[in-house]
Amino acid sequence: MREEFPILQREINGYPLVYFDNAATTQKPNSVINAMNDYYSNSNANVHRAVHTLAGEATEGYESCRSALKARFNANKAIITSGTTEAINLVAHAWGRANLSDGDAIILTEMEHHSDIVPWQMLAQEMNIELRFIPVQKDLTLDMDLFEAAIEGAKLVCVVHISNVLGVCNPVEKIIDIAHRNGARVLLDAAQSAPHQDINFEELGADFMAFSAHKMCGPTGIGALLVTDDAFDEMQPFMGGGDMIETVSIRGSTYQKNEQKFEAGTPRIAEAIGWTEAIKWLNSVDIKTEHKRILNSARWLANQLRNLGMKVYARHGDNDAAVVSFLHPTMNSEDLAHLLDARGFAVRTGHHCAQPLLERLEINGTVRVSLYFYNTHEEVVSFVEYFTEIMERFA
Amino acid sequence: MNYSAELVELIEEFKEIDDKMERLEMVFELADEVNLLPSDQWTDSTRVHGCQSEAHVKIGLVNSNVNFQAGADSKLVQGLMGILTMAIHGCDANIVLELTPNFASEMGILNSLSPSRSNGFRNMFDKVMNEIRTQLEAQL
Repeated sequence: MREEFPILQREINGYPLVYFDNAATTQKPNSVINAMNDYYSNSNANVHRAVHTLAGEATEGYESCRSALKARFNANKAIITSGTTEAINLVAHAWGRANLSDGDAIILTEMEHHSDIVPWQMLAQEMNIELRFIPVQKDLTLDMDLFEAAIEGAKLVCVVHISNVLGVCNPVEKIIDIAHRNGARVLLDAAQSAPHQDINFEELGADFMAFSAHKMCGPTGIGALLVTDDAFDEMQPFMGGGDMIETVSIRGSTYQKNEQKFEAGTPRIAEAIGWTEAIKWLNSVDIKTEHKRILNSARWLANQLRNLGMKVYARHGDNDAAVVSFLHPTMNSEDLAHLLDARGFAVRTGHHCAQPLLERLEINGTVRVSLYFYNTHEEVVSFVEYFTEIMERFA
Repeated sequence: MNYSAELVELIEEFKEIDDKMERLEMVFELADEVNLLPSDQWTDSTRVHGCQSEAHVKIGLVNSNVNFQAGADSKLVQGLMGILTMAIHGCDANIVLELTPNFASEMGILNSLSPSRSNGFRNMFDKVMNEIRTQLEAQL
């Protein structure tokens, strides 16, 4: 698998790159890079209306991404966006404005990424909507009793499937069930789960699911919002412009009926073509086996770090992601990250765009190791060996 | 500004180190060169803004010589403060004002840091120079 990813052959400071920042973004296989290059070299044109050959190829390439998304996630509607953030903002503007009113409530959790908090705070301020936050407990799970108590009167539940900081997988089936029994729609932030799980959108039952290509070996700048037919019918156009219209006259406009209604302007054609290849790549991976393998490496790493005196923030249940967030009792996290980078280990430090969660955990940030399917256990072992050396020399 | 013999020696030492880890290790060791500004004296006015870590500096002038105190929650940042200490502490303020951050570039230390850290160093340098300038003007 590794030979498909050219960047993994790179050296940093004379040492092999060990890329452990996959929760931020993943690396790209040759098939993705080549498809985007091929599009610009041979097929570049704008999509839809034109009848020339290049436009036909570009349209086919762009729409093949939608088809690949629908097939992989078993969804009827896939709106292509710039990423998870835009997908969530689209729900806020296209669904929220049309279906929420003064005094309504939205449920969020303390585990949400800023992308699933700030759009709702902005909408809440504008429309006088109440935001109810479900707390994270000491065992790093959501307080489901409080969720059940808070659901009454809520119109929308926004929940992160897998935490980007903790790797914890939330009980979304239960959350969706409770929300629907109480008449609330559910928006799933699947930025971290879509790359790590085989998700059947229709079976899972969420109304909206947002995720990004770049965390699943696709290009940056593109993502999707999966929507059920019912929820789709409740959405009003948000961004106006080309491609989303049926007719335009000086008296007014009519809109497309399908997903294009929410894809104004020239879309991300090369990125869509690249993403299609990434989805094909992911379809070829035995996700259950690979997930188990990297999760076991993450569990081993977490134990080694605990033995070295680190405070580890992870549960590593069977459905959790292979993420290990940790803190040294005294050493600054960025100092650690600099020392790790000196030997080619790429990790992330900071608040990971989840400050409410860190506030709950009473910390300012963590060092985060996040694994993906191309990582090996040998890399994790070499990380521990070098980390031990850092502790001996610097701590 | 002519660098002090100590600073010239330090620049040469840094230039000779190719290995990034060894260079970082040396910066860590220079944290001990800082005249520590205790954390209970950290205020908004001592804070270096635009630095990812908590970094604080305090400037005093004693007979127009610079008295530089500093402290940070990162040993790496404090090491950078140690380098600045060697460059300016006890030196005549008028001469110090001729200093540019080029000496850090000459050492190659900024290349060893993330862009946010090297920006932080420049912010610290600018804050120190501004304080020295302000205090000198106040003495006139």
